Amino acid sequence: MSTQKQHSRARRLLAAGAAVLTLSAGLAPQQAVAADGDKVLTVAVAQSVDSLSPFLAARLLSTSIHRLMYEYLTNYDPGDARAVPALATEWKSSPDKLTWTYTIRSDSKWSDGQQATAEDAAWTFNKMMTDEAAATANGSFVANFRKVTAPSPTELVIELKKPQATMTALDVPIVPKHVWEKVGDFSKFNNDKDFPVVGNGPFVLTDYKPDSYVRLKANKDFWRGAPKFDELVFRYYKDQDAAVAALRKGEVSFVAGAPALTPAQAASLKGEKNIHVNDAPGRRFYALAVNPGAKARNGQKIGDGHPSLLDQRVRHALFTAVDRKTIIDKVFQGYAVQGEGYIPPRFSSYFWKPADGQELAYDPAKAGQLLDQAGYKKNGDGKRVGKDGKPINYRILCHATDSNDKAIGQYLQEWWGELGIGVTLNCLDNVSDPWLAGTYDLAFDGWSVNPDPDFVLSIHTCGALPATPKDTGATDNFICDKRYDDLYAKQLAEYDPAKRADIVKQMESRLYDLGYMNVMAYPNAVEAYRTDQIKSITTMPAKAGNIYGQDGYWSWWSATPADSDGSSDDSGSTGVVIGVVAGAAVLVGAGVFFALRRRATAEDRE
Amino acid sequence: MTTETAKGDAGARTAGPRALARQRRRQSVVRFWKQYRTHRAGLAGLIALALFALLALTAPLTFGSDVAGVTGAPGQPMESPSAEFPLGTDRFGRDLLGLLVWGSRVSLLVGLLAAALSVAIGTTVGITAGHFKGAYATVLMRITDWFLVMPTLVLAIALATVLPRSLGTVVLAIGVTSWPTTARLVRAQTLAVESRPYIERAKALGGGHWHVMSRHVLPNVMPLVLAQTTLMISSSILAEATLAFLGVSDPNVVSWGGLLQDAREAGAVSSGNWWYLVPPGIAIAVVALAFTLCGRAVESVLNPRLGVGR
Repeated sequence: MSTQKQHSRARRLLAAGAAVLTLSAGLAPQQAVAADGDKVLTVAVAQSVDSLSPFLAARLLSTSIHRLMYEYLTNYDPGDARAVPALATEWKSSPDKLTWTYTIRSDSKWSDGQQATAEDAAWTFNKMMTDEAAATANGSFVANFRKVTAPSPTELVIELKKPQATMTALDVPIVPKHVWEKVGDFSKFNNDKDFPVVGNGPFVLTDYKPDSYVRLKANKDFWRGAPKFDELVFRYYKDQDAAVAALRKGEVSFVAGAPALTPAQAASLKGEKNIHVNDAPGRRFYALAVNPGAKARNGQKIGDGHPSLLDQRVRHALFTAVDRKTIIDKVFQGYAVQGEGYIPPRFSSYFWKPADGQELAYDPAKAGQLLDQAGYKKNGDGKRVGKDGKPINYRILCHATDSNDKAIGQYLQEWWGELGIGVTLNCLDNVSDPWLAGTYDLAFDGWSVNPDPDFVLSIHTCGALPATPKDTGATDNFICDKRYDDLYAKQLAEYDPAKRADIVKQMESRLYDLGYMNVMAYPNAVEAYRTDQIKSITTMPAKAGNIYGQDGYWSWWSATPADSDGSSDDSGSTGVVIGVVAGAAVLVGAGVFFALRRRATAEDRE
Repeated sequence: MTTETAKGDAGARTAGPRALARQRRRQSVVRFWKQYRTHRAGLAGLIALALFALLALTAPLTFGSDVAGVTGAPGQPMESPSAEFPLGTDRFGRDLLGLLVWGSRVSLLVGLLAAALSVAIGTTVGITAGHFKGAYATVLMRITDWFLVMPTLVLAIALATVLPRSLGTVVLAIGVTSWPTTARLVRAQTLAVESRPYIERAKALGGGHWHVMSRHVLPNVMPLVLAQTTLMISSSILAEATLAFLGVSDPNVVSWGGLLQDAREAGAVSSGNWWYLVPPGIAIAVVALAFTLCGRAVESVLNPRLGVGR
């Protein structure tokens, strides 16, 4: 759900100039208090909203906002991510594991005064089961539902076709039936016309401007307790440097990196007064995906992936020539953990790492041998030649907005160049088009993982492939493997957590051996906030956790404003003085120059 | 000087014409240099250019060609200037001084090629439009006007985005978007030259279009073209840096604009790593300024009457 691909982030080019300007002109920090005395928490985000409809939204920002606007049946505990009550106060399954009964709380009201009931939840699920457009974002959760009913306002009953392990982790926002039943076409409705938007979460959406900001007001009647800040604003910054400059000036209280602050930014912010840098193990993996000869579910070929990549030895050779340690040390500069299995080590129960003999450790010599064995020998120029007689050259799809992609791309070019394999970096603002069309050989890929890994596992099943080449599937990069699929079905039906974790690890092992998803790193969540505006904020997990993009609403709900004493920072005024002096110096210099010039050309003038 | 060329041409059939022409050319070069020397700013620009050219040409000797390699980077990422790395290191730990010197090769090369392309297009369009007049000239000049009012940068970005990413693309993108000024200038000069009586005489003696354009008009607009080229180089270098900074250039090629783009992506702007930003910026400014100074000086020496204002 809140998993998302770091695909389409708009360019952040022009703001760079502005960043340079703001850098030189330091101004006194502003307090996080609006004119009417409301406490405002402003968050600089690097992503724009794709849709505010919970039935369509896929991006991390949008789904995080939905967490704030609507209650879900369950939430995750900020400490250990176990399921805790949210809209449902308790839940139980029948002995045959096929019927789940949820008790819905009676102290949750919609922001228009109506009571939130089991009927709203039942309507939400039924809508997703009957209307394909409403299943766009979260359809995978209800695909296995047989029937959803609400026998009473406080009781919700879900009947399943097969046992489903994700029943306490249904990341589906429950919407008010009396508002949403008036919506016509769910594929077109973006929920951004009538403000405030009716909800029952800790915040109520009051205003939204595309590519600019999202404004939410605290819900004073929230059943868990009202948030401490009166207003929460997500402001969109195309340029991360501009966002960091805004943080320095106090214009924003919090900077969520895109996806993280760069090492240089983090290092310089660490020395700053009143700014706290939060460096936490991330919930993302950062991988190199291989085009497995993309096909649709009907067997038709999609795109033109390089045929040599269908050979497992070639894929292993490529990844064996990737030095993950260098990537961590040089590109991430320590703000990441070396990649192993598919699921980041933060989710310890599902974390898996390859055994000694299985691991594709960095070994360029072995990589060369593997390629020789596979029959891709070097020609006279030292280039490996494909079966078609042409030198092999792989196209790597990279996100033009992600500097890590480009940096690692340069390393790949040199590492694989040594092997005799050419690399073309295809850095685009919008990688979705060639990605969906299958016109790539390799691609930089990354997903945020939820405490329940079902979603990130489901995107590599054959069922996620597009039905025909013209359709769009939920698939990540067209992987379809029978053994993996069998394991996936097995884990979904397994209710015993330990046994399920064991099956998930087998899936990770299978995925690793296939060599289509090569995890290079687990980037840390590096984010920063002003301690003179935010006194305290909950991280998740409580110890060494992240703040932005949590699995619940804990961070923004729990944030406490700092006492505003109105005293401004000295360094700010120093900046102004320096700026003024520098400006004056430039003006004087220019004056002298022109005076000299006038004198020099005096005799030429008439 | 212009009439000399024409005369030397006409006198080609008399005794010792080649020696005579050579001598005359030498004289005019010497005269040109004498006048150029009086422009102090032009001299300064020339010296700066010579230095940069020397740096660029000797780069393989002073800094090995592996300076741009990321796998063998000698330093730690983002080191501040030290004795080992006078300008610090970049995000990969590469020596920024070496990158700066190597970057000069690309910036100068692209600047020169793009300016040459732009001036070539402009001169061709200008001379033919001035010579043929009529419907042909009208159509050509309207196209020129169209290019003139198009925002150059936007057009260049669009071109560079559509075409495959390489240096050639950047040269092409700059060249085909920046020629209209030259075309207008050259056309005006062509009209002036063609109204002179000796052109009429040449035509009466049977000189065809090609003869008039290449033998009489071109040598006369050449000074203008030369000065324009020198001026165009500086704007081409700036355009190249802009395109590289905006990320539409080949990301694997080290250039000054590319360095600035790297610096921005690594967050050097907000973290105050000035050594990553300032040197390429200054280098771009100095080279562009040097070419402008030279161009101004050349312009005023060759074309005292046309040289002022543009």
